[in-house]
Amino acid sequence: MNNLSTADKIALYGGGGLVMLGVLVIGLLDMFLGAGHPVDAEGAIVHEALVPIDIRAWIILLGLVIWGLYAVYKVVGPAATAGPAPAGEPETMD
Amino acid sequence: MSTQNIETRLFGSDVSYNLSGTWLSYWVLMLRLTAGWWMLHAGLDKLMAWPFDASWFVGGAAQGTILAPFVTPFADGALLTFVNFAVPLGQLAIGIGLVFGILTRTAAFFGAFLLMFFYFINGMGGGWAHGLVTGELLGIMIMGTIATLGAGGLLAVDNRLKEMGPFKNSRLRKLLG
Repeated sequence: MNNLSTADKIALYGGGGLVMLGVLVIGLLDMFLGAGHPVDAEGAIVHEALVPIDIRAWIILLGLVIWGLYAVYKVVGPAATAGPAPAGEPETMD
Repeated sequence: MSTQNIETRLFGSDVSYNLSGTWLSYWVLMLRLTAGWWMLHAGLDKLMAWPFDASWFVGGAAQGTILAPFVTPFADGALLTFVNFAVPLGQLAIGIGLVFGILTRTAAFFGAFLLMFFYFINGMGGGWAHGLVTGELLGIMIMGTIATLGAGGLLAVDNRLKEMGPFKNSRLRKLLG
């Protein structure tokens, strides 16, 4: 998979980037730069979000949609050229 | 025990590691069966307690979430009837597909699609009280893993389907595991 197509790059960088931005990066920023995180009687964490939670949700949704569209594209888009690996190049699984 | 040498380049770095084909196949089967029963159980539960009414979800819980514009139009009339059938039958089909390895990639794709609604509506409806990483998001990731690895090879009907006419076409084979 060393020769990434534009669609591959959009899915890898765009989809994964947005999901990880929404889940992990903003999560870390929120944790360390946001307000305190008291836990209420029901065990829920109460805190003011640094980045509005709806914005985070939209970012994650957009990333998931990109992944989903990529999956559809892999089925209905132009078929990849099938054939044996070029001589001298080790066969790898990726 | 077969070992594959994975060599690729991703995010600007060379990646090289060994992967046990046996353990990969085994573990993906475990994911497939677990996620499959999750969906199959949910579908059977609804069918056993028929009629199923999704109006509380698409009309109530979805209100105020980012999916409301796409979901609330299904809250009554013919579209609600469609949802009332589509959710349990969809879960049943996804569950059967994953457990028995029938159109595995397709089942995993639609599993992730369905879980996306549960993730955002349940999460936002509950105020994301336990953070943004929930069982539903992990479920989406597991479905993505199954779809990415095309994990239908072990104990799967897809092995038979691959030999059948329509699926010898490379495009349709992508729907299988």
